Amino acid sequence: MSEWPKEPKQLGKEHVRYDGPIKVSGRAKFASDIQPGGWLYGMMLRSKWPAARIVAIDLQPALRIPGINAAVVANDPPFIVRFYGQEIAAVAGVSKQACLDALRAIRVESEPLPFVVKEEAALSNASPHVFENQPNAGVPRVLQVGDPNAAFQSADKIVEGFFQTSVQLHHALETHGNTIQLNDDGLTCWASTQGISGVKDSLADNLGVPLDRVRVISEFMGGGFGAKNGAGVEGGLAARLSKEAGGKAVRLMLTRFDEALAVGNRPSSFQKVRLGAKRDGTLVAYQLDAFGTAGYASGGMTAAGGGGAGFPAPYIYQVPNSRVQQTTVAINAGSARAMRAPGHPQASFGMESIVDEMALALSMDPLELRIQNDPSEIRRQQFRIAGDRFGWKAKYRSPGASSGPVKSGVGCGGATWGGGGHGSEAEVQINPDGTVEVRCGTQDLGTGTKTLIAIVAAEVFSTETSAITVRIGDTAFPASGGSGGSTTAASVSPAVFDACQNALRDLSVASGLADPRGTNWGPATSRLRINPVVARGRWKDGLSGHGVGGVQMAEVAVDIETGFIRVNRIVCVQDCGLVVNRLAAISQINGGIIMGLGFALYEERIIDAATGVVLNPNFETYKLPGIADIPEIDIFLQDMPERGVIGIGEPVTVPTAAAIANAVSNAIGKRVTRLPISPAQILVLVGKVPRIPVGAPNGQTGA
Amino acid sequence: MHNFEYAKARSVDGAIQLSTPDSRYLSGGIDLLGEMKEYIVSPKRVIDLKTIPDLDRIDKSTEIWKLGANVRIAEIAGNDQLRATLPGLAEAAVEVGSPQIRNVATLGGNLAQHSRCWYYRQRDLRCLKRGGNTCYALEGENKYHSLFSGNPCISPVVSNLAVILAALDAKVIVRRGEQEVTLTIPELYANAWDNPLAHNSLRPADLIVRVEVATAKNRSAYLQVSEKGDFDWALVSCAAAGQKTGSQWTQVAVFLGAVAPIPYAVDSTLLESSGLTSDSIASIAEDLASKATPLTHNGYKLPIAQALVRRCLARITV
Repeated sequence: MSEWPKEPKQLGKEHVRYDGPIKVSGRAKFASDIQPGGWLYGMMLRSKWPAARIVAIDLQPALRIPGINAAVVANDPPFIVRFYGQEIAAVAGVSKQACLDALRAIRVESEPLPFVVKEEAALSNASPHVFENQPNAGVPRVLQVGDPNAAFQSADKIVEGFFQTSVQLHHALETHGNTIQLNDDGLTCWASTQGISGVKDSLADNLGVPLDRVRVISEFMGGGFGAKNGAGVEGGLAARLSKEAGGKAVRLMLTRFDEALAVGNRPSSFQKVRLGAKRDGTLVAYQLDAFGTAGYASGGMTAAGGGGAGFPAPYIYQVPNSRVQQTTVAINAGSARAMRAPGHPQASFGMESIVDEMALALSMDPLELRIQNDPSEIRRQQFRIAGDRFGWKAKYRSPGASSGPVKSGVGCGGATWGGGGHGSEAEVQINPDGTVEVRCGTQDLGTGTKTLIAIVAAEVFSTETSAITVRIGDTAFPASGGSGGSTTAASVSPAVFDACQNALRDLSVASGLADPRGTNWGPATSRLRINPVVARGRWKDGLSGHGVGGVQMAEVAVDIETGFIRVNRIVCVQDCGLVVNRLAAISQINGGIIMGLGFALYEERIIDAATGVVLNPNFETYKLPGIADIPEIDIFLQDMPERGVIGIGEPVTVPTAAAIANAVSNAIGKRVTRLPISPAQILVLVGKVPRIPVGAPNGQTGA
Repeated sequence: MHNFEYAKARSVDGAIQLSTPDSRYLSGGIDLLGEMKEYIVSPKRVIDLKTIPDLDRIDKSTEIWKLGANVRIAEIAGNDQLRATLPGLAEAAVEVGSPQIRNVATLGGNLAQHSRCWYYRQRDLRCLKRGGNTCYALEGENKYHSLFSGNPCISPVVSNLAVILAALDAKVIVRRGEQEVTLTIPELYANAWDNPLAHNSLRPADLIVRVEVATAKNRSAYLQVSEKGDFDWALVSCAAAGQKTGSQWTQVAVFLGAVAPIPYAVDSTLLESSGLTSDSIASIAEDLASKATPLTHNGYKLPIAQALVRRCLARITV
C-alpha cells in the first residue's frame, strides 16, 4: 500500500493557481471561446408552452434566412413537450443574429395541453397529468426504523414543523454547451463539461460514431455544480447541425435564459416533520412526510442520477425510531440534475430547524443538544471547535432577546458527505531535457485540479510546481472519470502520485542513479537521450479517504421593521483528510458557503401558475449573493493527513442555509419555515403584514 | 433584435427632427437595449443622444442645480457639492444598479425607463402593458408589485431618482416638438397612474433635456430596502425633503417608490401643521395602511413603506 510523504514540502501548503495568470488575462480558452476555422453559431428553439403536442415543424423558412447553414428538429413530430423551454429545433449560421432570425422564422404547429407547475396543485386528483395515464405523484418511498409510534408515545417532548425549500438553479457562470465538429474524420467536441469521458461515450453512442473517432476536449470550463455530466440535448443537436453544415464546427452555447429552463436544478422540498425526545435531550422518535418536485421527469430521466426529490432523513442525527415517507411529484418544468450535495441542503434545513425547536422545547442550548445526539465523533469535535471559535456560549441568547429593531441571532448546523476516490489513471513523461509533463483525462471544474496535479508531481520529484507541465481535459489522455460527488481530488491525486513514483523508478533504472532527484535530476535525465521516461499510474487504495463531517455557525442581523437580513459571520469547521492545496481548499469552502447563502436568502426558480413560464430566467430576478452580501467567513481546516486525500466540494455547501435559518429564527424569535428567507417572510413571521393569505407562496405561509 | 436605422443627433433640435413615430432615443442604452433584445420594442430608428454637446452638463448656481439629461448616474452619485446640498439625490443615485451600470446609465434614461415587471419583460407573454388583455401579476406572482394603482396594471415605477426628485420638487424640462415644456415629477408620471399602457406621460417624440432642482429644500434623504445588500431593485424606496429655517419646517414632501406606477405622494400635510414630531411622523406612516390595496404576495411592502417613511423623516430632522 502506498503512503504519502510524512513531511511533505508541497502538499498542504498554499499554492496559487497554476493557471491563474492565463485565466485572469483571458488567454485561457474555454468551450465558449473555441473558434475552429469556419465555425458556425448554433442556437436552439425552445417550447413556448409548458405542455403541448407538437404537430409539425417547418424548418424551411429558417433555412431561407441569409447566413443559415443548417437546421434540425429535436424530435420528429408529432411529439409532446412537457415543460416551458423544452427543445424543439436548432439552427446553425454565420452570425448570432442570423440564428435568432431563423429561430423566429421556424413555423411550429402545436396543440397546447393542460399543465401544472406548482407541487401542491400537481398532487391533487384534479390536476392535469404531466404524463398521460400516469399519476403525477410517484410511489412514496417509505423507510421505517424501530417503532416510531411507541417511541413518540414514550417521548417527553414532541415538536412539529412544516418546512419548504425552493427549486435552486445551478447557474454556472459559463453556460452549458459545446463546440462540435462532425465530419468524415470523426467527431471533435470542445465541451464545457465535468466529465469528458461521459461526453465522449454519450456522443459516440447517440451518433453512431466509433469511439476511436471521438475526441472530447475541455481544458478550461466555467463551473458545473453537477449539471454538466453529459453532452446534453444541446450536444446532440450541435453534432447533427455540424454534419448538416458539411462538417463545419458548430458552437452551441446556451444563453442565461436557457439555463433557467432546461439544464437542471435542485428539487424543491415540502417537509412535514415531527421529532420526539426524552427530557434529558435524547432524541427517540422522528417522522417525516415529504414531497418535492424534480421537474417533469420526476427523477426517472434526469442526468447523472441526481433526480428524485428525496433526501437523507433524519440526516446527521441519531434517532433510533423513525418513519420516513417521501414522494416525488412531477410538474411541467425542467428536470432536476445532481446539484452540489444532492438532497443534503434540503435535509439539513428541515432537520436542523426541528432540532432547534426541540432545544427550545427542552430549554437546552441547541449546540449541546446536537453534540448529545450526533453519532459522529469527528462532528462532535467540530461542534465544540466551531463553538469556541464562534463564541457560541457568549453569543447564544434566547430567541428574539436582542433589543431594538435590528435583531441579532446565531444558529448552527452540520453536514455529512461520502466522497472517496475512483479508478483514475494518469501518465507522466520525463523528457531528456529534464522537463516533466503530467497527463490526465480529468477536467477542472474550477476547483484547481491542474494546480493539484502540479503539487503532487512536484512533491514526488522534489521540485517546484512551476517545473511541471500539466495537461488535462482531453480524452486522448488516460481516463479519469467524471468530476462529481467530491471525488476528483481523491481520485486524481493518488493516480498522479503513483504515476510519478513509477516514473521516478524508471528514471532511476534508466539513468543508473539511485536517487535521480535534486542535483542528480539534470545528469539523470540527460542520460535518457532520445527516449523519454513514460510511466502510467492509477488510483490506489490507501492514498484517499472518504466520509467527512462539517459544521457551520452563522451570525445574522435582521431588521424586523423592513425584513432585511444581513449575514455577518460564518464559522466553518471542516475535516478534509490530507490537504493538497490549502488555498484551493479554503477557496472551495468560501464558494460552498456563498452558494449556501444564496440558497438560504435569495435563490428560487419562479414559475407562473397561470402561464407555466419561468418568470426569473436572468440574474436580475434570480438573485445570487453579491459582494455586499458576503459575510466574514472564518474557516478551520481540520487536517487529518493519515486519512489520505478527501474531496470537500459538496459538504461545505450543506449546513450554511440551515445555520442561517436557525440564526434568523433565533434573532426574530419566530421559526423560519421556508427557503429562501425573504424580507416578506420575516415581516409575516413578526406579524407586521396586515393580511396573511393562506397557502400563498413567496414566504407567506406559516408552519 | 430587429434591424434598425442608427442616427446620431448633434443637437436637441436635430434629435427632434430625426424622431419619427417608430423611433426611440438612445443614451446609456441600459433599458432600451434590453427591451430591443427581448423584442419588447422594435424601433425602426434609434437616435443616439450621446453625441449632443452639453447634454451632459451640470450647472449650479446658489439657487438651482441644472442636470443635463445625459449626466451619468455615477456623476450624480459622486459629486461632492451636490451631495452636500441635495444629499437625498446622491443617496438615491448610489443605489442605482451596479458601478458598471451607473457609469453608463443617464439621468434622462433613469427617469424614462420602462416597467421591470417580470410579466412585462417575459419574452413569450403579452401582458396588459404590452397591449394584451391581462395583467398576469394581479392574480399571479406579484411580490414586487404595486400597493396603489389607478388602473389594472400593477407594475410599479422603479426609478430611484424619480422618487427623490419628486420630493425635491424638481422640474423636468422636456422638448416637445418646437416647444420646451416643464413638467413636475408627478406630471411626468401621471399617465402611468391611469393608463396601463403608459410608463410615463412622455409622448413618443418627447425628449427630456434636463432636470432642474432648486436648493431651497436644504434637508433631503433617500432610503430603500432590497432583498440583497447591493445591486438590487428596491422592494420599496422612500425619499423625504423639506426646508428647515431655524426650527421652522416648510415644503416637506415624502414620496414612495416601487409601490405604485408613479412616485407615490405620502400625505404629509400633518407635518406642516404639527411639525416633524415622532407622533406626526408615525401618524402619516400609519395612514398609508388605509389607502393601500395589498395583493396576495405584496402585503409585506406596506410595513416596509411605513418604516421607510419614519426613517426618512427621522433622517432629515437630525
